Amino acid sequence: MTDEIDLSQLPPAEPYDKARDEAQRARLLDVWKKPTGWRGVSAVNNSHVGKWYLLTSFAFFVFAGILALLIRVQLAVPDNPLFSQSLYNQLFTLHGTAMMFLFAVPIFEAVAIIILPEILGARDLPFPRLSAFGFWCFVIGGVFVCGSIFFGVAPDGGWFMYTPLSSDPAYSGLGTDIWLLGLSFIEVSSIAAAVELIVGVLKSRPPGMRLNLVPLYCWYVLVVAGMILFAFPPLIAGDLLLEMERAFGWAFFDPDRGGDPLLWQHLFWIFGHPEVYIIFLPSIALIATMLPTFAGRPMVGHSWIVLSAVSVAFLSFGLWVHHMFTTGLPEISLAFFSAASEAVAVPTGIQIFCFIATMLVAKVRPSVPMLFAGGALAIFVFGGLTGVMVALVPFDWQAHDSYFVVAHLHYTLIGGMLFPLFAGIHYWYPFVTKRKMNDRAGKWSFWLMFGGFNVAFLPMHWTGIMGMPRRVWTYQLSDGWGLLNMVSTIGSFVFAFGFLVLAINVLWPRGKHAAAPRNIWNAGTMEWSEEQEGTPWGVRSIPYVHTRYPLWEQPELVGEMDRGEWFLPDAEEGERELIVTDILDARPLFVQRVGGPSFLTLGAAFCLGAVFILATFHLWTWTLFFGAGFVAFVLRWLWTGTARIPEKTTKYVGRGITLPTYAQGNKSVGWWAVFITMTGDMTAFTGLVFSYFFFWTALPDFLPSLADVPAFGPLMGGLALMLVGWGMTIAAREALRKDNGTISMILLVGSVVIKTAGIAAWCYAAWAVGLDPTVHSFDAMVWMLILWTGLHLILDAVMHGYVIARIWKHCCTPIFRADVINLTLYGHFVAITVIVTFALLALFPLMMGVL
Amino acid sequence: MPELPEPPGDAPRVIDQGSIWILVASPSIWAAHFLISYWVAAVYCAKAPNAAPLMEPRWIAIGLGVFCCAVIAWLAWIAVKRYGGVFLIFEEITESSERGRDKFIGHVSLLLCVLSAVAIVFNIIPGLVLGEC
Repeated sequence: MTDEIDLSQLPPAEPYDKARDEAQRARLLDVWKKPTGWRGVSAVNNSHVGKWYLLTSFAFFVFAGILALLIRVQLAVPDNPLFSQSLYNQLFTLHGTAMMFLFAVPIFEAVAIIILPEILGARDLPFPRLSAFGFWCFVIGGVFVCGSIFFGVAPDGGWFMYTPLSSDPAYSGLGTDIWLLGLSFIEVSSIAAAVELIVGVLKSRPPGMRLNLVPLYCWYVLVVAGMILFAFPPLIAGDLLLEMERAFGWAFFDPDRGGDPLLWQHLFWIFGHPEVYIIFLPSIALIATMLPTFAGRPMVGHSWIVLSAVSVAFLSFGLWVHHMFTTGLPEISLAFFSAASEAVAVPTGIQIFCFIATMLVAKVRPSVPMLFAGGALAIFVFGGLTGVMVALVPFDWQAHDSYFVVAHLHYTLIGGMLFPLFAGIHYWYPFVTKRKMNDRAGKWSFWLMFGGFNVAFLPMHWTGIMGMPRRVWTYQLSDGWGLLNMVSTIGSFVFAFGFLVLAINVLWPRGKHAAAPRNIWNAGTMEWSEEQEGTPWGVRSIPYVHTRYPLWEQPELVGEMDRGEWFLPDAEEGERELIVTDILDARPLFVQRVGGPSFLTLGAAFCLGAVFILATFHLWTWTLFFGAGFVAFVLRWLWTGTARIPEKTTKYVGRGITLPTYAQGNKSVGWWAVFITMTGDMTAFTGLVFSYFFFWTALPDFLPSLADVPAFGPLMGGLALMLVGWGMTIAAREALRKDNGTISMILLVGSVVIKTAGIAAWCYAAWAVGLDPTVHSFDAMVWMLILWTGLHLILDAVMHGYVIARIWKHCCTPIFRADVINLTLYGHFVAITVIVTFALLALFPLMMGVL
Repeated sequence: MPELPEPPGDAPRVIDQGSIWILVASPSIWAAHFLISYWVAAVYCAKAPNAAPLMEPRWIAIGLGVFCCAVIAWLAWIAVKRYGGVFLIFEEITESSERGRDKFIGHVSLLLCVLSAVAIVFNIIPGLVLGEC
């Protein structure tokens, strides 16, 4: 037991004073209000950015849905001359790509950005500008990728873009580059959101919300954001390899030059299978949040759902090869993945059983959200069962790449993701807009979509069994698939009509309608404590939460919050403020000031977007120019918005508690953000390490003779230099702590110089033995690892320069030294990268050569 | 040197006091067992002479699996003894105290131990059934 402040024994709040309340509200409004007019685009507050995110994701959903309808029209009758094969390839590729990358993942981020802070009783997430940056990256990248179809150059290699079709320029055009670079860019926004959400759940909980009291939604968000961090980077590594092959002819996937097309499949599916759960879990989280409300009681097996979410996060990474059962891997390998694929059904099933149990022990109030949730469970269970079928290797060999798989994946995604999301839309619509949706239209849209969906996709199981392969642009009458396809097409239009009803219901102008009651569903979670319109600050005061369903179990709480009786009821200093709490027990740690509206994030996203778009067209000079612009915007953003030295070191937050206003090291949110981002970075690096060993396993002659591998001496020298440079950065941190600013700056400069010498030694080692990345996969892999380290050292140098300037300008001081602490944390990760790279370049070939 | 002001009361330390690690320990063991089994089999099938029987990889997978299950059993014991984890379905560990948080984590860890052990057994089965690559 530790000595913690007892939040239940705090002194009482001061008696209510109307004048004080109004003055505090006026100050809060002044700080949190959205900029007006065209300046509104600079808003960063979660409620604005979240709404934009949501609407943009749905715009891409509509776009991809129209593509789906076009696909269905083409397949409605045999020998249909409507679309050319080339255009059809673009249609289905873009349909899958947009649905997965521009709708399913971003909508999770959108919903989480809107409701997570409110469920946590927080004013915002800890990095609002990062959310805004992520959103703008998503918009720019999404428009770029989708817009390509209007110029006839959309990606056409299928949403998983298999090599060698996608790596050989003879078979793939600009579309593949658009796919690779556009999506890499969007992955940036997903990782940004993951960082934001993880830190949000861990560090922005209301005081008192211990781990055992965390709402289920937050557990799911934490788990999914963690999965994004481990799933997306391998794809980024894969994208990098593929784009290097396409743009510069490096040999990774070309068998003639020691490459292997299967490597792409591994890297893609290490991302791609967890991706399915990254999409599914946040939507099921919505059901887990709604269900207790309509059941009027806590969820049965709260902890069982936590267990399921955590274990699904792990198990889902052990499934990737089940997309590759027909690639000729050893049967024993397939069997491992088949076993894991069956095992993942256990925790998935536990969640469903907990839902059913909750409905059984309570009397569930009927409502439109519950209608959608029920439909979702029915469809998802069906899709899950066909999933168990295709997880079996012999069955999969029969059904692989047929319409059976198309039916299966749509049952899981639409049942597991889309219907719960629609339930959530109906449920949280009053929370976002303060109005209620039309129930009658809601029921219509549900039955149209539920019926239309099943009419469209159920027959595909049979078309698949009858042999219709996926992705064919047409078929012959004699194939006998005509009737079933026509039924599917009719169903898809019924479904689309149902969605149209829903869209009209959502977008219907309700400005003049009466406002919906405050907690319209009588829910127990914190987001429904939000006041009515005109209160952009989220919560009037940050509450003390000591139950799982605070609005049920702490009935006096809402009144107390409204009267400003809890923490941070005011904004005297004109700053947007949050309380940061600790990970385990949510004890209040310090007051975090967060950034307000800014064009810097917009500028940074624009420049980064330009970098990726220009790189697609190989306009390297302009790419560099905008790259410099991106760096400039980011530096300005960091300089003005992060680790600011506060005007006073502590602040009274109310109820007898005074908190620090500055934090550094692992207390601060910035440190956690660096740690989490670099964990993702290490995962991408692991993807490269995996590639190295994959080549070694798959190719008998991957490693050349010892005379042709980079020499040990320069590699060892380079390693020593880079590690010394790392030590100098640490020494600089210690020097600053001991009030030696000048020595600290000198050490930081020296660190950059000496690391540059180190990477130069490595380049020399590779160059001296004549390694040419366009000739063989080993050469390409060696240069790739050196390039990866080099890119990290460039970033490292920029960060060193930034910290030197911060120390010079007394923004980073012996007491307030968050910048230099975060720099060293980055340095630790780079050191790991350097050591592992050395092992691959020098030790492993040596070891294998001796053996 | 003056230092930054501290927040009131102690903050629990995540690693030694808290209990985050025990939550992820057992699924991590599953992941390690899974990956090692996969790698051993993949390297063996690629590098060993053609059509060699799978004697070595299967024994590695099984032996390692037994060892992992033993470690997981030890973790489960910690979850019960140190954290007060219990095996129940209608869980209501909502007490707002350090002990309550501990018991919750012990309970979830215990469940994760059971599930991880089951998943490891799933992964041993292929080695028992298949004799060749």
